[in-house]
Amino acid sequence: MNCHDIQERFVDYLTGDANPAVRRAIQEHVASCAVCREELETMTLAWTKLGVLPEQKPGPALRTRFYTMLETYKGRLDEETAGAGRRGRARLADRIAAWWPKTPASQIPLSALFLAAGIMGGILLKSGPGRSVEIARLEAEVRDMRQQVSLSLLDRASPSDRLSGLSFASQLSDPNPRTLEALFKALDEDSNTNVRLAAVDALYLFRNDARVREGLVGSLTRQTSPMVQVALINLLADIKETRAAEALKSLIANRELRPEVRQKAEWGLRKLI
Amino acid sequence: MAPHDDSLIMTDVREGEVEKLAILFERHHLPLYNFFLRLTGNGAASEDLVQDVFVRILKYRSTYQAQSPFAIWMYQIARNAHIDYLRKRRDKDTVPLDDQWAEAASHEPQPGEALETRRERALIRKALDSLPENKREVLLLSRFQNLKYREIAELQGCSEGAVKTIVHRALKDLGRAYTALQEGVTS
Repeated sequence: MNCHDIQERFVDYLTGDANPAVRRAIQEHVASCAVCREELETMTLAWTKLGVLPEQKPGPALRTRFYTMLETYKGRLDEETAGAGRRGRARLADRIAAWWPKTPASQIPLSALFLAAGIMGGILLKSGPGRSVEIARLEAEVRDMRQQVSLSLLDRASPSDRLSGLSFASQLSDPNPRTLEALFKALDEDSNTNVRLAAVDALYLFRNDARVREGLVGSLTRQTSPMVQVALINLLADIKETRAAEALKSLIANRELRPEVRQKAEWGLRKLI
Repeated sequence: MAPHDDSLIMTDVREGEVEKLAILFERHHLPLYNFFLRLTGNGAASEDLVQDVFVRILKYRSTYQAQSPFAIWMYQIARNAHIDYLRKRRDKDTVPLDDQWAEAASHEPQPGEALETRRERALIRKALDSLPENKREVLLLSRFQNLKYREIAELQGCSEGAVKTIVHRALKDLGRAYTALQEGVTS
């Protein structure tokens, strides 16, 4: 092969599409041809350096904007196709409006879940071979979406949204590490006591997970609110987490501990040892 | 990724089950966002472009043909969205390119990253920006978007050989631009 033939195959060489014989021919050629060697080196440098551009994630607003757009589009489509039955639907809409959240921040993730449920429902109504595989796959996607909705709500400024996020998380059967991390963040760092207490309840549901048990023990020493301390002691005693004994002892040793918490901690320690 | 399934889902969207677009969004928005980010170097503009692509998918859903893979159709729409974005940007007072890269860099939360990696990344982005739009687009499609040369050729409306030639020239130009920038930095 001459220089032109060799250079024509450089792209395949870099992408790994060149077969072994072509690879060998290229390697042998560039070993003796300085022009082609320099060209391949320049291209290899570019190909390699492109690899330092990392995969990045967009902000959460992108998902919110998409679902808002889709909901609006679907609403308009439904309006266009609506004929008879419009009045009946209007009455249903009134009933839904009575309990539908009032803030857009809560509405959007809920809309996303309803959409997902709609997709599932539509597919379940159909039957035939291959459907069960499709249902399983879509179930997995809906589960993932529920985790996303929960994470998105837990990140909101409004405590009521964060409480909704905890409620969504409570419905998960198998929370992923990011969701668990968000739950512990709510437990340890949330400025609102009600949210921290709700996080205790949510984490109780995942008590069989070793990471959760360990995290709960660690959290006990970080808590400052007496109410959250008591809730955590109750939980740890209930799940008989013996590793909490040391944390309880150091809590009791703290002179500034409120008497009712101390009493509870001593009770917890008796249950564990 | 399941291209065959994507086509079936998009066919359902075309036939009026528009809520199924949520599945395609969940599957494709991340690679699409990164495609735009590498193309433009601007995080906010890339989010706008992803949104624009899905708005256009809905708007033109009746034109989707099931025999064509969804990803090719989606990237055709993405190209058009990007062309319109460039046109609008030219019409306005443009942000200096250096500022755009700075914005993109600030968008990356990567604590603990080595200084050398950050420097390399800034250089390759500047070098990428020196490529003409078409070369940059084809190169990024072949390097990152998991598309075959045959598919890129279909997308670009040219032969597979022409795509390889564009990728070859783009890599050569990029490598030279990178080296020149690197020498400029170190000298």
